[in-house]
Amino acid sequence: MEQANPPAATKPRISLAARLLAWLSGLGLATVLLLLIGLLTWLATLEQIDSGLYHTLRKYFDWRAWYIIPEIGGTTVLLPLPGGYWVCALLALNLTLGGLLRWRRDWQRVGVFIAHMGIIYLLVAGAVAHHFSQRGHMRIADGATSNTAEDYFEHVVEVAEIKDGKPDVIQVIGGQYLTDLTGSASRSVSLSKMPIKLEFSGWLRNAEPTPVDENTSHAGATACDGYYLMPKPDKVEAEANTPGCVVQVDLGEGGKPETFLLSSAALEPVTLRHGERIFTMVLRKRLWLMPFAVRLDKFTADFHPGTMKPSKFVSEITRIEDGRQAKAVIQMNEPMRYANLTFYQASYDQLGQGPTAKMASVLEVVSNPADKWPQYSLYVVAFGLLVHFVAKLAGFILARSRHNPHV
Amino acid sequence: MSDSSSNTGRKLAAALVLAGLAAVFYNLVSVTRPPPGELRTIKDYSPWSAASIAVAESLPVQDGGRVKPLATYAGFNMLAIFGSRSMTVAGNDGKAQTLNPTAWLLDTLFRPQFAIQHPTFRVDNSAVLEAVGVKPRGKRDRYSYAELEPGLEKLIELADGYESIDPKHRDALQQQILDLAYNVRDFQSLLGQFAFARSGVAIGSGDEPQRLNVSTVMDKAPRIRDDLAAARRDGKAGRGPAEYLYQETTQVAGLAMRGMNIFPPAEASDRSWQNSGQRIMGVLNGVTHSPGPAIQDIMALEQSVHALDTGDAAFVKEFTSLCNDLAQRAAARGEGRHLALEASYNRADWFFNAFLLFFVGALCAVAMWMLGTGRSGRILAGITLGWTLSGLVLCVIAIVERCLIMQRAPVGNLYDTIIFISAACVLLALIIEGITRRRFALGLAPILGTLLVFLSRRYEMGDPKDHLDPLVAVLASNFWLTIHVITITLGYAAGLLCALLSTLYILMRGLRLDRADGELRRALTLAVYGMVCLTLFLSLVGTVLGGIWANDSWGRFWGWDPKENGALLIVIWTLVILHARLGGFIKEWGLHLASVFTACVVVFSWWHVNFLGVGLHNYGFTSGKDVLWTFYQAMLGLMLFGGTAKWLESRK
Repeated sequence: MEQANPPAATKPRISLAARLLAWLSGLGLATVLLLLIGLLTWLATLEQIDSGLYHTLRKYFDWRAWYIIPEIGGTTVLLPLPGGYWVCALLALNLTLGGLLRWRRDWQRVGVFIAHMGIIYLLVAGAVAHHFSQRGHMRIADGATSNTAEDYFEHVVEVAEIKDGKPDVIQVIGGQYLTDLTGSASRSVSLSKMPIKLEFSGWLRNAEPTPVDENTSHAGATACDGYYLMPKPDKVEAEANTPGCVVQVDLGEGGKPETFLLSSAALEPVTLRHGERIFTMVLRKRLWLMPFAVRLDKFTADFHPGTMKPSKFVSEITRIEDGRQAKAVIQMNEPMRYANLTFYQASYDQLGQGPTAKMASVLEVVSNPADKWPQYSLYVVAFGLLVHFVAKLAGFILARSRHNPHV
Repeated sequence: MSDSSSNTGRKLAAALVLAGLAAVFYNLVSVTRPPPGELRTIKDYSPWSAASIAVAESLPVQDGGRVKPLATYAGFNMLAIFGSRSMTVAGNDGKAQTLNPTAWLLDTLFRPQFAIQHPTFRVDNSAVLEAVGVKPRGKRDRYSYAELEPGLEKLIELADGYESIDPKHRDALQQQILDLAYNVRDFQSLLGQFAFARSGVAIGSGDEPQRLNVSTVMDKAPRIRDDLAAARRDGKAGRGPAEYLYQETTQVAGLAMRGMNIFPPAEASDRSWQNSGQRIMGVLNGVTHSPGPAIQDIMALEQSVHALDTGDAAFVKEFTSLCNDLAQRAAARGEGRHLALEASYNRADWFFNAFLLFFVGALCAVAMWMLGTGRSGRILAGITLGWTLSGLVLCVIAIVERCLIMQRAPVGNLYDTIIFISAACVLLALIIEGITRRRFALGLAPILGTLLVFLSRRYEMGDPKDHLDPLVAVLASNFWLTIHVITITLGYAAGLLCALLSTLYILMRGLRLDRADGELRRALTLAVYGMVCLTLFLSLVGTVLGGIWANDSWGRFWGWDPKENGALLIVIWTLVILHARLGGFIKEWGLHLASVFTACVVVFSWWHVNFLGVGLHNYGFTSGKDVLWTFYQAMLGLMLFGGTAKWLESRK
């Protein structure tokens, strides 16, 4: 009698979605993503030596960077890698799915689960800071008052109508409308409160107004009043770059539009006249209006005796808001937090020379909605890891073998 | 594998470890000691009495932003110029006499006739001497100031030229010539400190002119200034006796205008101490508000110098009086409260003694491993533990004393990290031993202690400056220094220890020294897993704490500073190991190979980022990078060896 072959065992069919979910929440993906973040961090650390921190971060970790090709010591490394922002985003997704969906909810793993939640919180804090934080600095001389901070990187065009020798109305064209105008691209801008039409072009990230000289090549560059913008290599410290662009101004009087060069290195603004009205135009770092004014009452810079090693920088200030005054002290490691803004003692400066010279304090101003989130995430992560490792250690000690102790 | 071949392997491994330890010991001794040379005999040389040295070593000096005992000041000056804190010379009797830093400095300050004959200048490249026209004795040797004197003009001329070259573009010889020029300049400034007291101001002409004490001239300063002003008014400037006295005094004071700030200012609000030159010129120029104390100070110094001609007892009496007065004035200002403690810290040389204890412990550890589990092995385990604990205790005493002297948390600079990591690694290894009781961690503890204390000595030699220095403003927070820096530093220690445990595993299993003892392997693997977890915990918590500190001081949680990135890399690498292990992508061999790589990540974070020349944690030094590359190669070589051993094992 022939025996019938038993039917072959069939594996339960797993849907594509389930497999995708398993992959996205898997430890394999987590390991690869962590390796990638490590590699990107290491390469970015090396690349910032030559390229500067600002450009390296934009290259490696900006959300617009989908992939990067490392360049170390001026040599291109032919190893295309995914952009750091998206690797972190995928890791956050992996952690969330792995933590929430796949993790076995037994008490032994509760510490790991808590730690993962803390890391997700930290990554979210990083993303929020990346997208929504603002930074600038406020330089105030001893006894002076200021209510504006200056952005470190963003340059804007400020057009002001001057009345009685002072700016009356000011309109600002943001950096996002200028920085993409490289090559032959141009953009027209009409100012709502002024009879002026502007056409910007030829944006250069770092340039210097240079006299037109027969011996100097300036092919293709627009010359104006005997000057043209000479492109310069990017500075390693990106905040030291002095960008420039060309602007064509139409004052709407039927005349031919005039061309000017705008440069943040220029010492004087461009002056425009429309009948009796006077306007000035300048390319400068963006000013950021504070909701209150700060008066520097006293600045102290102390050094360890006989050295140039700083021991203490202290700014004693008065916060002035709607006529109300409040005293505060800002010093190293002790910032002032007020109205969702944080003021840090960043550095100091000397304004002027000789006996009339005044000390000036430089305060860093930061607005970051996720200011304290990393701190909270630390508590979560530390608690989670502590629970896990103590449990592991206890298990190890209990289970350790005391037999044959030898080497 | 047979027992006999395993035993042969053990002997071979023990021989290799011993050879390595011997190389470390020889290196430390050969670098710490100056190059061998003929014992220098100095005519009529007599050593300082113990009483003179005891008085001098606690004399307060303001230097590098803090008040320290003369012993510390002398130690780092001697280390920088001579390359060691111990010098041997001979007197008329030909017997070798060892000079400690205080004795060496006392000679330089008070007895220049001997000091210029001391073999003070260590020259490691004879080409330096050839370049300045001095005949060298060999490739490396030590030279006295008197021997270098014929080439000093050329040395200064060359140094002037090389100083303008960017340090990155200077070649080794140029840098060595510059270093020698700086050392000569520093030595000259020490030699000249009390020259005014010896020479006074010569008045009159002839072979033996009369000499006025500088303090006497200072006493007459108002009249000298009046006479000078009158001479200028009358158009007779440059010819009168007042002008002569002023110029002569300025000249001798000029030799004492750099360093050796031993006089506390009278005003409590004035934080800068003065040296003899400033004291003299302040009175002479009428800048000092109350000249009386300044004149007294200079007179006391002159009396000490003159008393030396009478004899040691007279010198001790005068110098003790001066030192006590200065120490009391410093104490009245609330400064120099730990001078005696620091002087005793210097005398104790805790870390060198700890090195010796760890070294003997390491030798015992090798013997312990060789002897196995028998009675003699157990006895040796006890002895190893004794030596190791003794070394650890010395390290802990030294670290605690440093905290008391500095009044701050134990880790504030790179040198602090080395000694702290040394103690932490040994302690962690002993804790692991306490848990596992398999003697592998017990053996590793003194070896690690030896290597890390050796590293601290080498680092101090390469960067001979006071590492008890005050902190810059941003670091001046004991709270953050304690919780962030210590946590991160402990993370480095844990990372290094897990790499070393894995090194042991790979070597034992790869060389088949463990007799395929599965339990031993499991114990090592569990220990490494535990250390990876601990490294992650400490590095992660330390990194986030650092971010919180940075958020409070610089306004950002994360600044992508190389040091921050280095710490993050340790966190990420340990996470990679744990996730790969959890996912089953690496097993026992894989865990150990990955754990060895942890050492590379830790060393990158701890040392290598300091060479990159960027960031807020940049220390700005450039030498010694080759050692790092050698270390990376050694670690990668070990991983390759482990990978090959695993492959061979899997083929069987």
